[in-house]
Amino acid sequence: MIDKELLKKYARLLMFEMKEEEYTTLQEEFDVILKQMDLIGNIQNISEVEPMTFPYKNTDVVLREDEVGDYLTVDEVLSNAKYQVNDQVKVPRVVEEDI
Amino acid sequence: MYRQDTIMELREQLDKKETTKEELFEKANKLAHTFQEEYNSFVTIIDKPKFKDRDSLLSGIPYALKDNFSTSGILTTASSNILKDYVPVYDSTVYKKLKNAGAVLVGKTVLDELAMGGTGTTGHTGIVRNPWDKSRMIGGSSAGSAASVALGIVPYAIGSDTGDSVRKPAAFGGLVGFKPTYGRISRYGLFAFASSLDHVAYFTRNVKDSAIITDVLKGYDPQDMVTLKDDGKKYLDSIDNDIQGKKLFYIKEICDREYYKDSNDKELLEVLDKFHELLDKCRSLGFEVEEVSVDKKLLEAVYPTYMCISCAEATSNNANLTGIQFGPRGEGVTTQEIMFDARTKGFSELIKRRFILGSYILQKENQEKLFLNACRVRRLIVDKITELFKEYDGLILPASGGIAPKFDASSEKLSDRYLLLENHLAIGNFGGFPSITLPYGMVNDMPIGVNITGRVKDDELVLNMANKIESVTGFKNIIAKVGDIDV
Repeated sequence: MIDKELLKKYARLLMFEMKEEEYTTLQEEFDVILKQMDLIGNIQNISEVEPMTFPYKNTDVVLREDEVGDYLTVDEVLSNAKYQVNDQVKVPRVVEEDI
Repeated sequence: MYRQDTIMELREQLDKKETTKEELFEKANKLAHTFQEEYNSFVTIIDKPKFKDRDSLLSGIPYALKDNFSTSGILTTASSNILKDYVPVYDSTVYKKLKNAGAVLVGKTVLDELAMGGTGTTGHTGIVRNPWDKSRMIGGSSAGSAASVALGIVPYAIGSDTGDSVRKPAAFGGLVGFKPTYGRISRYGLFAFASSLDHVAYFTRNVKDSAIITDVLKGYDPQDMVTLKDDGKKYLDSIDNDIQGKKLFYIKEICDREYYKDSNDKELLEVLDKFHELLDKCRSLGFEVEEVSVDKKLLEAVYPTYMCISCAEATSNNANLTGIQFGPRGEGVTTQEIMFDARTKGFSELIKRRFILGSYILQKENQEKLFLNACRVRRLIVDKITELFKEYDGLILPASGGIAPKFDASSEKLSDRYLLLENHLAIGNFGGFPSITLPYGMVNDMPIGVNITGRVKDDELVLNMANKIESVTGFKNIIAKVGDIDV
């Protein structure tokens, strides 16, 4: 069974916490998931295949022209931010004044 | 009989001035409120719509939109607490196109949180119930969109489909669910789940209506660099094209009755029997239908491949949900603590579990074995199906091995039924193939669906074939029986 401490480490890396009992559920879930994942390894000579990251070769893809288009105003950009100061999103001070 | 009317029927009523767009909206709005407490289709019901008269088949006709499409000035939550107050300042391309077509938005629909899930039970405003049987799921993630069409609130609803999130609930709700080719429709403003698999898709009650919506939504969008140049076709114009001699195949390892002959699962056996009866009807329509064998190991790997790729991409895509620029601000002394708290409170347990799985898959020590091997399996599967599409015009399979599950049902996640019959629709996302589900029968008074998948960019033919098959199913334009309610 996967180590619960390892799962806690991943959660911290993802910047959230879970309840102790939720880690237990996840541990049990991992048991099944890892058995399912083994099915991927069952395919012969898999390492010789080029990984696929896009559904098909799209020859239509072009970078759009570098032209000024519609853009959001500062007020619009900030409209969902709870804390603002001087047209910017406010976050706690990082640099201490005394240093 | 508004609840059963199709897009074309409503268009005719509007054009003949038998009704008005205001009246249609009023009916849809009333139904939305009437059914909300029982079925929970909507996060937001629009009470004051904006009407525009446009030269489009969709002008004046009500619809619903999944709550992961950005709508300027309208709450858009992705059914997650971390976005529960988020009001976008820009329109998704899909919403913009529908607005420009004069379509009338009735509401934003509930989804599984952040579109990750297939049950319709994980949205932050509660579970969505199946209109055919309230003790059952409608499926997900586009749960509210499916329910709103199955209830007859709207004739069509927009969803998104990353693994089967429209095509599976379509089967459970007696609906048509169409996912066009990857890139056919812009995803600009659709909250990303797994970018290499995400598609815009929709629910209707017949295939022709799906063609109408595709005609309005398709086309190149500079805001989504994977969109295809428009093919210049109107799919509605060719919907009745002849299909004589078109070749369909089904995969023996997924739906051969012999594989399940010892099963006690009566629903499964009935689904398979009805599927093979449908194949005979397809043959009588002029299709050639053949059985094809595909390496079972490859098919068994579809679901874990999907999990690996989708969870890994989702973990990365959702890293912007911090509660700083938008969303509820967390508590803490440092910025890091604030984000930590916002994400801890903002995500449900299921989402956290998926993210941890994604993180596990992306760890350096697991990347080769899990993530990259999943991407390799994806190629093998897509190559195999693409090769078969050189000989065949479409793949036909049951969309599910059963009817919509009860809320308390559990499934054996290593069984053939689960790994093969319940999860093969993700192949359509792996390869970006156009893929459509339509109802073809009833089992235990619940609808079942068949899926047809075709070659990349061959959306027109997929719609043609589905339209023809629909003519012999006897289940076109059905809605759930929910009493005598009509407006």
